[in-house]
Amino acid sequence: MTLLTRRRLLAAAALTTASGLLAACGGSEPEAAVPADGVPRGKLSVWLHQTKAYDAVFTKLLHSYVQEFGGVDVTPLYVPVDKLDAKLLTAFAGDAPPDLFKIGGWTIAGHARKGRLAPIIPKAMGVPDEKALVAQYDQNAISSLSYQGRLYGVPIDYTICCLYYRRDRFAEAGLDPDKPPATWEEVAEYSKRLTSADGRKVGLQWILGNPQWTLMQLLALVKGKGGGILSADAGTATLASDAGVEALRYYGSVGNAKLSNPLSGFGLFATGQAAMVVSGLFAMDLFPALNKQLVFGESFDIAPLPHWDGGQPVAPAYTWGWAVAEQSKLPYTAWHFIDYLQREDVAARQLKDASLLTPVKGWEKLPGADPKAMEIMAAAAPHADFGPRTPVWQEMAKALTDAGDAVAFGKKPPERAAADFDQAMRIAL
Amino acid sequence: MTLTVRLPGPAATVSGRGQRWAEARAGSLLALPAAVYFLVFWVVPFAGAVWLSFTDYELAGVPAWTGLDNYRRLLGDPGFWNSARVTALYTVASVVPSIVLALAIAVPLSRPGRVNGVLRALVMIPAAMPLVATSMVWSAIFADEGLANTLIGLVGIGPRPWLTDERLALWALVIMTTWKHLGLFVIILTAGLQGLPSGVFEAAAIDGAGPVRIFARITLPLLRRTLLFVLVIAVIGAMQSFVPAFLLTKGGPAGATEVLPLYLWATGFGFERMGYASAIAMVLLVAMLALSLVQFGVLRGGDDG
Amino acid sequence: MRPSRLGSAVRGTLLSLVVAVMLLPVYAMLAVASASDATDLGGLGFDAARFGEHLSQLFGQGGFPLYLRNSVILSLGVAVLEVVFSGAAGYALAQLPFPGRRVLFAVVVGTLSLSPIVVLVPMYLVVRQLGWIDSFQGMIVPFAMSAFGVFLVRQFALSLPRELLLSARVDGAGELRVFLRVAVPLLRPALLTLFLLQFLAQWDNLLWPLVVANRPGLWPLPVGLSQLQTEYDFSAGLVGTAALVTAVPPLVLMFVLQRYYVAGLTLGGVKK
Repeated sequence: MTLLTRRRLLAAAALTTASGLLAACGGSEPEAAVPADGVPRGKLSVWLHQTKAYDAVFTKLLHSYVQEFGGVDVTPLYVPVDKLDAKLLTAFAGDAPPDLFKIGGWTIAGHARKGRLAPIIPKAMGVPDEKALVAQYDQNAISSLSYQGRLYGVPIDYTICCLYYRRDRFAEAGLDPDKPPATWEEVAEYSKRLTSADGRKVGLQWILGNPQWTLMQLLALVKGKGGGILSADAGTATLASDAGVEALRYYGSVGNAKLSNPLSGFGLFATGQAAMVVSGLFAMDLFPALNKQLVFGESFDIAPLPHWDGGQPVAPAYTWGWAVAEQSKLPYTAWHFIDYLQREDVAARQLKDASLLTPVKGWEKLPGADPKAMEIMAAAAPHADFGPRTPVWQEMAKALTDAGDAVAFGKKPPERAAADFDQAMRIAL
Repeated sequence: MTLTVRLPGPAATVSGRGQRWAEARAGSLLALPAAVYFLVFWVVPFAGAVWLSFTDYELAGVPAWTGLDNYRRLLGDPGFWNSARVTALYTVASVVPSIVLALAIAVPLSRPGRVNGVLRALVMIPAAMPLVATSMVWSAIFADEGLANTLIGLVGIGPRPWLTDERLALWALVIMTTWKHLGLFVIILTAGLQGLPSGVFEAAAIDGAGPVRIFARITLPLLRRTLLFVLVIAVIGAMQSFVPAFLLTKGGPAGATEVLPLYLWATGFGFERMGYASAIAMVLLVAMLALSLVQFGVLRGGDDG
Repeated sequence: MRPSRLGSAVRGTLLSLVVAVMLLPVYAMLAVASASDATDLGGLGFDAARFGEHLSQLFGQGGFPLYLRNSVILSLGVAVLEVVFSGAAGYALAQLPFPGRRVLFAVVVGTLSLSPIVVLVPMYLVVRQLGWIDSFQGMIVPFAMSAFGVFLVRQFALSLPRELLLSARVDGAGELRVFLRVAVPLLRPALLTLFLLQFLAQWDNLLWPLVVANRPGLWPLPVGLSQLQTEYDFSAGLVGTAALVTAVPPLVLMFVLQRYYVAGLTLGGVKK
């Protein structure tokens, strides 16, 4: 091949790539966002991850929506949860995203910064303005879906962390199953009594190696000590502080990192090797599914997430959200459909049938969930903390997981792990 | 004993200009689809990736040229160096045993016979098992009470935390990939062995050469094209290995199995730093090409490759 | 030198032992497929009744036959194209001097070393330019050839006996005829290996079909079955059963091919 053709080839390659990229960020003319008659129409594509229970609720809603609004056709696509991001990102890069999708609230900032998301259209959602919409939801939950003052999503699948514990293991160890630990100090103490001589049975076991759970677990410990993972403006990393180092030290001091299960900490709790684990509302259904012998209230139970002795309660939380692609030609219809999915009667049905909590205002009183779980979540809700809101959330969570794992596996002292985290974030932020 | 194996280069068959022209025409015709294919689906995307490696592309917006920034950043990135180390270790640990083992199995298995035929079929079974679909089963095999611990229990070794021990996790992946690829290597080597001219072996046997001598002096040299192929495929496969770690350990525990392709995936699709990920890919590419060249050089031993 | 009877017995036993160890994980898959729940994964017991339950559950799921069909289309399509085109190119690279031969081979080896992850987005853009998003072409054509396939066939084609090719030429056969009538039968083991491997690779391919196909009507098995394993909620036994069922068609294909495969080998072995 001559130099000339090679050069031409490179140019062609660059062109192909660039044309795609240019199109991806392209300025498609903002069509009349709100139709004059206010009637939604068009063909919508929806991507979401599958949960069997939610599927039943969602499919019904979809049909009734299409029946009610004859001009709309909705094509849903279920994508496995751990592949949804890769598929979405490739589609965004190729300028072919779906109209609307369900995404983790923690990714909103990143997507919004890159101009991939269309802000909400209040008119489509039957409210005069954004403020009125926000008023319909739990303040904490919905505001976690905004970026730089604009709202990019509405929340669904809201969870506040609590402590799950095995009543049977507590009883075996001579602990009162009705008195779960209330502080992290007590957790450590209980864990000692719950740990077997060979270390194959432990008290509290962290969910290791998982960025989202690492973030929530460490958030509770660091914030409870008065520290922070990132500074308030999310501009710098602040783990290398007394609070951060103490939190990491504690993180490495309970549980046994070497216990292994195909489903990590969740699986270890199901087998009973772990007597305590930090988890969310969904786990009420998960544990009996993993181990058919487990019965809520009998062999396992929940308690509020512990706090440090004399410290502030912290309630790590997450929510998923519905969002609309900036490239969508039908933002009005998309938001209209989303609003339909979020009605209060639907929220009640989702909670009952799919254990999915839509944080509409007054969610605490929604029927259908276990009253104890709702009570614990409601009490924690004022302290709900969604973690640092940063466009580089993935990088932060991964670096934090590296730090937490390094301490848990005894590879690094907490001081070094914290310093390494701050260093890694200096490059990322 | 001297070996005279004639290996004329392609040009040696030329018996005139007309013939050469006919061969060139046929060759171009047969290779044309491949040329077009590789151009469209690999050279163009590759050129795109090279270009992106000099930009700050983050899967959105117009990439801005940043020169060598990505490559400079790479030098000081502990995550990259950890992954490079893990990948090097993983490559050596998975290539050497699997090729030695494959040879040890293929040589006796290549003899004709009904039993050998059955064994050849059985040895291929793991290679025919889908890896993605069966990965869950592997995490069960390596679980505390799984098959791996049952087996080492038979020889009196206590249970080991295969996937959660930093020193063991990589070996768990090596076991899984060796299991998966062994049958393939065996079959390719068997095919190569059976294609060897049988006369040479008979002559050597008549000369009184023992089996070890025959293997070292005749089988190995004659098998070098097949070996080269298996070696190149094995090394490249190991260096690009992504699926086992992605499915089984997600790079854990504490980064012990974070092979370079996994780091690349996290950088490109997790952090969306596609420019930087492309730079990592280029470094990996250069390393693999260099290794391939060395292998070609060592095993070429003649005019072909 | 004739190997002693004892030696061959020892060798046979050792080989069988190795093969037995290799098959153990396959048995473990059966055990997992009959697991009642996620706490039951370690055991090696097999519960046929529960396995049957999982089977009927699996086939009762609406999508399964569809995913199966799509997987067959995808895998067969890729495998056939691969054998035809990589076979032709591999042979040409080994035996026929043509302009650009070295460049093409360099590209092949280079491609072999290129990380598929990093070309995912550029390749997606190419496929989108071709208008093939959400289509079988989009899933099949990008894999219609592979550096692996070309390289494999080339290495085998290098060893083709010149005399046979030459004598065919002397007999007046055109180059294409030499390729089809002489080279292809001799290359049969390599081509069948390639067919099987590419069939398998697509049977096991998750990422690309997932990225390119936007409707379940196109989904092959790995994508469809990954639905069984949602984030925190999955039935271990069902996933295990799905894995096992998925493994059956490639195994059958392998055993069917094996006969021709061996025939091909002996045919190739005739040469000197």
